[in-house]
Amino acid sequence: MTKPRVGIFGLTGCAGDQLVILNCEDQLLDLVGALDIRDFLMASSANDTECPLEVALVEGAVLSRRDEEHLLRIRERSQLLVAMGTCAVWGGVAAMDREVDRAALLADIYGPAGAGYDTTPARALHEVVPVDLHLSGCPIEKEQVLGAVANLLNGDLPAFPDIPVCAECRMAEHNCLLIEKGAVCCGPLTVAGCQARCPELRIPCVGCRGPASDASIASALAMFGERGIPREAIAAKLRTFAPVNGH
Amino acid sequence: MGTIRVEHLARVEGHGGITVELEGGAVRRVQFDIFEGARLLEGLVRGRSYEDVSPILSRICAICSVAHALTSIKATEKAFGVRVSPQTELLRDLLFLGESIESHALHLFFLAVPDYLDYPSAVALAADKPGAVQLGLRLKKLGNLIQETIGGRAVHPVNAVPGGFGRLPSLDQLITLRQALRQGVADCGATLDLMASLPPAEFCHAQTVFAALLAGEDYSYYRGDQVAVLSNGAREIIAAAAYRSLTNETPAPHSHAKHSCYWGRPFMVGALARLTARRDVLNCRATEALERLHLVLPSDNPVDNNKAQAVELVADVERALALAERLLKEGLAEERGVPVVPRAGTGTAVTEAPRGLLFHSYTYDEQGRVLAADVITPTALNAASIEDHFRHAVRQNAGSEPAALARKLEMIARAYDPCISCSVHLVRQGDAT
Repeated sequence: MTKPRVGIFGLTGCAGDQLVILNCEDQLLDLVGALDIRDFLMASSANDTECPLEVALVEGAVLSRRDEEHLLRIRERSQLLVAMGTCAVWGGVAAMDREVDRAALLADIYGPAGAGYDTTPARALHEVVPVDLHLSGCPIEKEQVLGAVANLLNGDLPAFPDIPVCAECRMAEHNCLLIEKGAVCCGPLTVAGCQARCPELRIPCVGCRGPASDASIASALAMFGERGIPREAIAAKLRTFAPVNGH
Repeated sequence: MGTIRVEHLARVEGHGGITVELEGGAVRRVQFDIFEGARLLEGLVRGRSYEDVSPILSRICAICSVAHALTSIKATEKAFGVRVSPQTELLRDLLFLGESIESHALHLFFLAVPDYLDYPSAVALAADKPGAVQLGLRLKKLGNLIQETIGGRAVHPVNAVPGGFGRLPSLDQLITLRQALRQGVADCGATLDLMASLPPAEFCHAQTVFAALLAGEDYSYYRGDQVAVLSNGAREIIAAAAYRSLTNETPAPHSHAKHSCYWGRPFMVGALARLTARRDVLNCRATEALERLHLVLPSDNPVDNNKAQAVELVADVERALALAERLLKEGLAEERGVPVVPRAGTGTAVTEAPRGLLFHSYTYDEQGRVLAADVITPTALNAASIEDHFRHAVRQNAGSEPAALARKLEMIARAYDPCISCSVHLVRQGDAT
């Protein structure tokens, strides 16, 4: 079997999802053996920036014309484009409050020099190009990316659970921060896959993985209402990491 | 006239490049280009509750996410007059060490060492020297284990909050950590062997101004409020709250990072600056490692920052082991974080991220909502110094072929361990003093 040609790219973001790949210390050498990684600027200075790719993994949001052109080029050369991480899938923290006047913010921060900067309001990848697969998480979980690669190597598209963090939290029998403490926990509405990392540590979920499509929104809102948590407070939390409308 | 360009600097975190224009034999223009998109995060946290600030601003950078999260928390606690327990401070020290070990291992083995041995990447290096790459992976994993144990996640820690921690590590987790750290000590010896075997990188010499946080008798990355600026034997101290006198920034048209100078001179932050400023408090492992790598302080070679990171890596593992042993011996008190009561005011915190000084400064209203936030990152502080060292290197290597010179400049930039995502940050224009 020929190894699939893969590119790993970062648009504007924190590089956390690429770092998660490099953090697969036990699997990394096997991973790079199973794939033909042609273009990975964060890890290599010998990259083929033109060749066609079977799979492109792209993290970060589109925040400049340069990002947009880069993403269009990646799309052109790739069979499958995978949006990797919450910024790529949902816009991420840079996209919150997109309606804020960017020019004013730039002028405020950089002075007159800011006017010349190449910067645009943050967009998720699907707002610019068609995306074949979404891996959400801030950052993505190792198991997600390893599972996705294993599936793709077998010619399958990976399927991820669309249940909320709440489900994983209850399975693990953690105390409920919302019911017992009245904490503003986004677990009922946020997509699972993190094994309820934060509630396990008694920290309310901040919604960093984006919304779950299989969440029971009406009952979650009723539960928040019963505990005196206004709808706007929940909405503001969810908009922090996942401000962009669905893909 | 000729131009040397590195369009897109590889093996760094974020998006940057190098431009050097020559005219005759003279250097006309030198630029460390930063074209990472501006996310304007400090502007976007305005109006948010104090609880939201650290999770949002840790997203400035993944590799420094512990430093951003804990510096953010330290600034918020200062603004509210919160004093955390000594146990919380010890755990924060340990969490910082985890980040430093992971970050230094990633930088040394995956980003920097391939340069010395003429490989494009650690993956290519692994084909010929698998042991060296596996060594780096083990040390990286050790740093991540600390971050997972104390911070709850290797990238963007979730367990540290204003006042303390969500949940304390269990006894079993600490025992596992101690075991891993004991094994890590042997890997540190092998790291020094590898670093000592690398060919010399002597192509840029310049008297350098250094700036680093002082942390008393300790080599803590987290504690302390005073920054030392070292210049040609002189030493000046600046309090964290007066950070603007150090970070006096001017926007540069070619860069989304602002340039910092101290009395008109660029300065270097990071491992080499820390070792130089803290020579009096190095542990014996660090002193041995300095000798082993023939690193004489102060160094006039910026590429020595790689050696300095190796020295810190060795000392970090030793300190993390001592901390884990102490926590196991004394036992963890099952304490909840101290209460956090918002009040109006400003808090400024400084710490040492793996790549150098990091400042977070916030002003809150009486409800604990952000009125203003300012973050100054190490790579933004280093940007002017990187360009200054480029200029010296171009002059000192006038006979080099353009391609060879470009590689040298890349090595200099990479030695700073630049984190370009970090360097794109917001600084409010009118505030600069």
